[in-house]
Amino acid sequence: MGEILNKIYEMTAIGSIVDNPYFLVMYALAFLLLYLGIKKEFEPLLLVPIAFGVLIANFPGGGMGVLGADVNGKIIKDGVVLAENVYAMSLPEIAHDLGIMNLIYYALIKSGLLPPIIFMGVGALTDFGPMLRNLKLAIFGAGAQFGIFAVLLVASQFFTLQEAGSLAIIGGADGPTAIFTTLKLAPHLLAPIAIAAYSYMALVPVIIPLVVKLTCSKEELMINMKEQDKLYPSKTEFKNMRALKIIFPIAVTTIVAIIVPDAVSLVGMLMFGNLIKEIGANTSRLFETASNGIMNAATIFLGLSVGATMTVDAFLNLQTLGIVAGGFLAFGFSIFGGILLVKVMNLFSKKKINPLVGATGLSAVPMASRVANDIALKYDPKNHVLNYCMSSNVAGVIGSAVAAGILISFLG
Amino acid sequence: MNLNVILSSVAPVADLSNGEKFIEALILMAIGMATVFVVLLIIIGMGKALIALVNKFFPEEVKPVAKAAQAVQTVDQNIQEAINKAIMTLSGGKQSAQKIEKL
Repeated sequence: MGEILNKIYEMTAIGSIVDNPYFLVMYALAFLLLYLGIKKEFEPLLLVPIAFGVLIANFPGGGMGVLGADVNGKIIKDGVVLAENVYAMSLPEIAHDLGIMNLIYYALIKSGLLPPIIFMGVGALTDFGPMLRNLKLAIFGAGAQFGIFAVLLVASQFFTLQEAGSLAIIGGADGPTAIFTTLKLAPHLLAPIAIAAYSYMALVPVIIPLVVKLTCSKEELMINMKEQDKLYPSKTEFKNMRALKIIFPIAVTTIVAIIVPDAVSLVGMLMFGNLIKEIGANTSRLFETASNGIMNAATIFLGLSVGATMTVDAFLNLQTLGIVAGGFLAFGFSIFGGILLVKVMNLFSKKKINPLVGATGLSAVPMASRVANDIALKYDPKNHVLNYCMSSNVAGVIGSAVAAGILISFLG
Repeated sequence: MNLNVILSSVAPVADLSNGEKFIEALILMAIGMATVFVVLLIIIGMGKALIALVNKFFPEEVKPVAKAAQAVQTVDQNIQEAINKAIMTLSGGKQSAQKIEKL
């Protein structure tokens, strides 16, 4: 009887969990992320798959955790070599030997396939209209990349330059860009960086109000952009917005490709997605597939497998904690960089700009703009800044992709 | 010139002291921020040029062709009469069907 009970005990994950109670920390983290995604509604489309990925990856014996490989593709777990060179294995072999989560991870994430695919979907869901109507505000999409380079400076003292660059790109507030850059610069850090990037993106409703509260006065937050537009009206008129929106993605791709070729895989796919949206009926089938089917499937696979990279071994160490802290700094500095640029411009311009427009130079679209709009409405229920924020917000997507291209080009 | 060339002239990239890494990160910060600003300034300038060009050469909004009004599916005359008679019978001649459409 005792033997049977012992066998049942060994069959379950209880023994391993008792031996290594750190698993409980991971469950707590998964439950917290699930709570934030489901109850608090922080980017549920991202956070729920990631959190569930964390949960299922951390059951001993479940085989759903992503196994990190070293530079030569060797995978060692608990002193046992599971794969001599994972990059030389066929996909069925990976699925058979390492489980389906590793198949998804190595085929779709590690290969670098999903980030550009997701960018295509983001492009298909992005409207550049607000940016074209408020072109000058797009410059804050550059100011808000400050956090990337500020943290690069700090992190260079604790990490190699390549690792510091990967950590710093979290400040771009763009998950696919962070994954793409890390794969090129420091692939061994992909797990903590992807998790930090996506977690902070989901926590935009907490981080932006925090930085805004620390850096902006009530008077600044009450600047009404519509009233400023009435006081200092724009002379630009739009006679054919549709043609403009079709030509714009083609022109941006061409320019970015010439200046920063390393950013083309991201910006090019972003603009392709946008182009098939703007053409309209003739490419509507492509648009629907890019923005729904492909985007949703990619988000599921990316979320689950990124979550599954967060295993006890990969996550609970000092380096990861450094990345989590550094990522937060990068995020905060980026928001501050955008706000600072607004403050400087307001010193020299009659037409005042609400600093929230600078804070949304992050590329977390459209969450950052929605959060900024909510903050503005708190101070003045008639002050709708959403359209103005969207201008710097979508410019931030281009800005962070360009910053990633620069890091890859110089450090890769 | 690629920054790697500039950087490698300072010291081998692999084993750098913290001070050297700081200087390199500083150079990268200057180049990076400048490039992001230049790219977005170019995009802003290009956007303005595009607005002017489109206003000049394609001033009229091409309105999407109005979709042909969906033909209202009519109900067969005999069925209409049958429904009407049924309603009249049930309501004792007080009510009748005004409009019958397929859903």
